[in-house]
Amino acid sequence: MKPIKDFVNRFDASINLDENFIVKKENRYFLLNESLKNLIKKDFFYGGTYLGKTKNGKFFPSFSLLMMIAERKANKIIVDKKTEWLFICGRDIFKQGIIKVMESKKRGDYTLILNQHGECLGFGKILRHLDKEKEGVAVKNISDIGDFLRREA
Amino acid sequence: MSGKEFFVSRYEKLGWKYENVKPKQAIRINVMNTKKADVIKRLEALGIEFEKIPFLENGYWICKSKFSVGAISEYLLGLYSIQETAAQIPATLFTDLEDKIVLDACAAPGGKTVQLADLMQNTGAIVALDVKKQRLPALSNQLERCHVKNTIIYNLDARQAPRLKITFDRILLDVPCSGNFATDKDWFSRRTIKDVEKNAKLQREILTEAAEVLKDGGEIVYSTCSLEPEENELNMEWTIKNLNLQVEKINCYGEKAPTNIFGKQLDSSIENCRRIWPGQTQGFFVCKIKKRVDAL
Repeated sequence: MKPIKDFVNRFDASINLDENFIVKKENRYFLLNESLKNLIKKDFFYGGTYLGKTKNGKFFPSFSLLMMIAERKANKIIVDKKTEWLFICGRDIFKQGIIKVMESKKRGDYTLILNQHGECLGFGKILRHLDKEKEGVAVKNISDIGDFLRREA
Repeated sequence: MSGKEFFVSRYEKLGWKYENVKPKQAIRINVMNTKKADVIKRLEALGIEFEKIPFLENGYWICKSKFSVGAISEYLLGLYSIQETAAQIPATLFTDLEDKIVLDACAAPGGKTVQLADLMQNTGAIVALDVKKQRLPALSNQLERCHVKNTIIYNLDARQAPRLKITFDRILLDVPCSGNFATDKDWFSRRTIKDVEKNAKLQREILTEAAEVLKDGGEIVYSTCSLEPEENELNMEWTIKNLNLQVEKINCYGEKAPTNIFGKQLDSSIENCRRIWPGQTQGFFVCKIKKRVDAL
């Protein structure tokens, strides 16, 4: 649980996950529901909601976990349609594409990237204070939903 | 016994005249994640032209799109799935899916698993099996993309389902099959009747084990994308005779299945199955089976 909690904290957010329903399979974490908990066997491959994995001491979140964080008070930015498209193609975010900033604007903080429908597209790291700069790369892309396509390529 | 002429003459004996077809691309809106009207509005705003599939509640044909509908945010966010038209039918044939324990015995790549979760509104539990380990990442990616929360995946042969020691309310058997020419341009040159018979045997073995783990009063939906009667009507005839199961009436797109196969008369209930010849969809076969009332 600690890697998940530590990761969520990086968005100035908190999340309450019932540890009784979290299972770890090798380096991957899953959140089960009541029915699944009663049915799951040791040799499962995947179960319930995938939360993320640890690799070389680093936590890699699932998009389901990012969505769960996005439903709460957390560092978020909303981007315009063009920026949304560029972001899911793996690009960083330019200041001009940001419509709204919620919570942190501080350099070095993690922030969730949302489209204009409030849907979470991934997350990134703020590269320069979001109030101070008017243009240029503002948020570095760390992970975006285009990954679903890249994984299978 | 193989080749285009051989297979086409069989289809003619079953009442269908061969024609070259190109099924339209189809999508299915995941209503557990979104409102249908919202997705329609968003796709229209992107200039995508589509048409409602008249016999599917959440299915749409893509008529025109300047870009791949599998590479935009709406898809990556799990608002819809790309799923062949006929393949959208089997999961809709179950009754009362919410809160049920469901087996998807041959699940990868997961289009129907996601559809089951959608119909269940993420309640209950789906146990999804696939024998090929290399296909599991595609299956789990689909589940993650579409926010499916009620599924466990095992790398397991469907014939080993009893090893899980679970009995199921609903079982989807979208079994491995010979496929059909509508989705494989080399189909006629690659397939022989021996392949068909080999697949039919495997399908009967899967049916046998599925019957073992079906609860009394439970339902099995059996489907293939094969046009060959050995994998369809003849397997259902075998099922009725050997597994204490009966074919139920269903109401869906497709023709009543023939009950006379190359001169062999089958049980009249086989006509409750649906055979879909290629056209707007790929070729397909689907039916629903339950334990015989006198066997309960």
